[in-house]
Amino acid sequence: MEMRVGVLGLGKTPHKIQHEKGLRDLIVEAGRGAMDDAGVSPEDVQALYIGNAASTGFNHENSVGLMSSHHLGLVPAASVRVEAACGTGAWALHLGCAAIMSGLYDTVMVMGAEKMNDLATVEGTSIIAQAADAKEEYFSGLTFPSGVALSARKYMEVYGLTEEDLAHVSVKNHHYGARNPYAHLRFECTVEDVMNSAPIADPLKLYEVCPMTDAASALVLCREDILRDQPDKPQVFVTATQMATGTWYAVSDTMKDAYDLLNKPATRAYEMAGLTPDDIDVAEIYNSFAIQEPFGIESLGFAEQGEGWKGAKDGSTWIDGKVAVNMSGGLLCKGHPLGATGATQAVDIVEQLRGTAPEEIQRADARNGISACRGGPGAVGALHIYQRLEG
Amino acid sequence: MASILRYGAYLPRPRISVKEIHSFFSKPGRPRSRTLATPGLDEDSLTMAFEAATEALGPKGASPSAVISVTQSSPFPMRKMSGTLISALGLDGAAAYDVTGHAGSLMDALALGSTIVDSGGGDVLVTASDYVVSHDEKVADILPAGGAVAFLLSAKGCCELGGSARVLDEIYDVWYLGREEEPRYRLEVLAAAYGAAAKGALGALEAQTGISSKDYKIVCASQPHPSVLRGLGRMVNKDALANTSFVGEIGNVGSASVGLAIALGLDGARKGQKLLALGYGAGEGIAQTLEVTSTTPTIGVADRLAGTEISMGTFYRWTRGRQVEPH
Amino acid sequence: MTVSAIEFSRIGPPKLRAYAMKCEDCGTLHAWWEKFHCYSCNSNRLVEQELKGGGEITNYTVVYYPPRDFLGQEPYVVGHIKMDEGVVMPAPVVDVAMEDVEIGTRVKSTLRRMKLGHEGDVYYSQKFIVDDAPAPKKAPAKKKKSAKK
Repeated sequence: MEMRVGVLGLGKTPHKIQHEKGLRDLIVEAGRGAMDDAGVSPEDVQALYIGNAASTGFNHENSVGLMSSHHLGLVPAASVRVEAACGTGAWALHLGCAAIMSGLYDTVMVMGAEKMNDLATVEGTSIIAQAADAKEEYFSGLTFPSGVALSARKYMEVYGLTEEDLAHVSVKNHHYGARNPYAHLRFECTVEDVMNSAPIADPLKLYEVCPMTDAASALVLCREDILRDQPDKPQVFVTATQMATGTWYAVSDTMKDAYDLLNKPATRAYEMAGLTPDDIDVAEIYNSFAIQEPFGIESLGFAEQGEGWKGAKDGSTWIDGKVAVNMSGGLLCKGHPLGATGATQAVDIVEQLRGTAPEEIQRADARNGISACRGGPGAVGALHIYQRLEG
Repeated sequence: MASILRYGAYLPRPRISVKEIHSFFSKPGRPRSRTLATPGLDEDSLTMAFEAATEALGPKGASPSAVISVTQSSPFPMRKMSGTLISALGLDGAAAYDVTGHAGSLMDALALGSTIVDSGGGDVLVTASDYVVSHDEKVADILPAGGAVAFLLSAKGCCELGGSARVLDEIYDVWYLGREEEPRYRLEVLAAAYGAAAKGALGALEAQTGISSKDYKIVCASQPHPSVLRGLGRMVNKDALANTSFVGEIGNVGSASVGLAIALGLDGARKGQKLLALGYGAGEGIAQTLEVTSTTPTIGVADRLAGTEISMGTFYRWTRGRQVEPH
Repeated sequence: MTVSAIEFSRIGPPKLRAYAMKCEDCGTLHAWWEKFHCYSCNSNRLVEQELKGGGEITNYTVVYYPPRDFLGQEPYVVGHIKMDEGVVMPAPVVDVAMEDVEIGTRVKSTLRRMKLGHEGDVYYSQKFIVDDAPAPKKAPAKKKKSAKK
């Protein structure tokens, strides 16, 4: 099946702690930004898919879909809130694509938004833990960072990865995050800085885990011919969308599960787009914890299993390398506003393919991009491929 | 006569220095105990009883027909500790009995358990556990600590429960003073009441058994405070208290106190030796004689008196607010 | 026992004993929360099976930022414990210095508070302590009799 969903417009807010703005402020900022960039008015948007993972907990607000369409002026068009743990934003994108591909709509908006900082860290951590099954987390004293730390230790045990090796992932992400005006954390760091940063969950340290961030991002999607009819607009299309579920409990998450979670949908996505891993120029790979970047690099076919960590050290995943991974600074620097992340990854890739990313993080002549998002302890896998296809 | 077949004891490892307590609360006077055995945040009278009971049930896991639990700090206002222990230990079918009242009530539990054994009712598991938690500077007076003991009673064992005598006087040794949040000992009243109860109960036991209190080489007594042991030391052979005194080392473990002393006494006791146990609470003294009939298991309780020191900050964080919630 | 309704509905009754869920169709043991579906054979028939309590650490981490109910106990070790019966459980390993925990360390289950009672409700579950006893001997594989022609 050939898929050509046009990306008409992009919008995103800065990623940081924003006490002075409410969830609705962020949603309106990103949504209006995308509609302006697309050159559409609210009446043109036939459906809104807005991803938000945990506003009931973080913001004591529940009906995000209805709230957003009201404030964005989208009433009476269709609107729904999408939730799939950390994969929420990617799921909003998937549903928007499916809506266009079905022919039911020709122009939709997909968004992701999350405001996490109105609570103290311990409260926030506990709410995030609700995205996994309380049975496992509460019973065991695990949180998301410590659950992922277990997979880091397993990787180290199986492949001999050292903590210093892993630190290079943070060094690379911070190099580009420092150059991304929208990122939450904008400082560079060395391997030594990473090694000396405070322990969070052994073996993961402060610079290897993402901050809690407030942000929203949005894309206006359209049927292929609508974008083709505006040749002055960058001709960037979503050409593959594949989703999967995986293990719900971290304890049953083996190395194979971690690999399959993204590899299976990635394989289908490459086939759908008619591409191979070698064709990819830029990738946004979910890395709320540093170890997830090597896992994702391997699952997407950019490296053999056990070798995904090497690119950060040898340069092959830096801006001029074989494939530029996480030029935005990744989640390590952007933070991980749960519902927004998957959508922000899409925005960042499309910027790369348009050539409009800030110069220092812009991969030269990027034509093919991929975003890999995941959610829960290993429960959601989400793959999207994007291509610049001149008419 | 019922016998102790096996026994177990659990003391949490953290220790807070009482000198630090004095210093933190600017309390005058010298520390009356060196440290206090302090249960961790995830421990309580139930979990400690579980540990001691597991040891008493042995590696092959005995199947007592009844469990009698003694505690003054139950986590549940409307549930038997013995019942929950039965579920946790996998002793389904055993009868559940909770016995409480005062810190000497373990002696009641042993008496009732013996009755069940003697009437052919099967083995009985007796547990005593407490986590005494005090407010602020009262810690220096109450010396609150936590611990648990357990005894498996059977028709045949290593130590037979002999004659007992009790004396009950309506004494008020613990008082709410003014608007203070918790009752406290009046130490001179406690010492006097303990002395009177000991004298009465030991005297009555002497008359019953014909054995002089001073003849016992091993004396195991309730230890709410170090000061009571001085008075007791004059009624028995002072050296007999040497290996079973711990309150000056780890504090007051409530209803587990007399049980811990018995466990210390049983460790290393030789066949033919007699133990004198004395339970005390609220003006009541219960004296019990025990005779070692065969080699005791010797679980090494004395080695568990030493622990790992915790800081005052840790102690304060662990105990703050815990006085009122389910202990 | 005062248990909060929300906790009871999310986590079920207090875990006073260590148990696993056994698939009646394929025999695979799953962690106690897998009440509904066996991913080994897709059966929906699972029953409780009590565990002896012994196991070994196959992976572990140290938590410095705990969830609310573990506040005050950090840093603490959480291990993946492979029980002798085969099933893997995540659980805290207590009363042990961090340096003394290794992959392969033998542990046994014990009863501890999980919810600490800050809000007046107490909830119990299984945690693990280091076990000095040697591992149980594995039964030797039975030799299959070869069919005589």
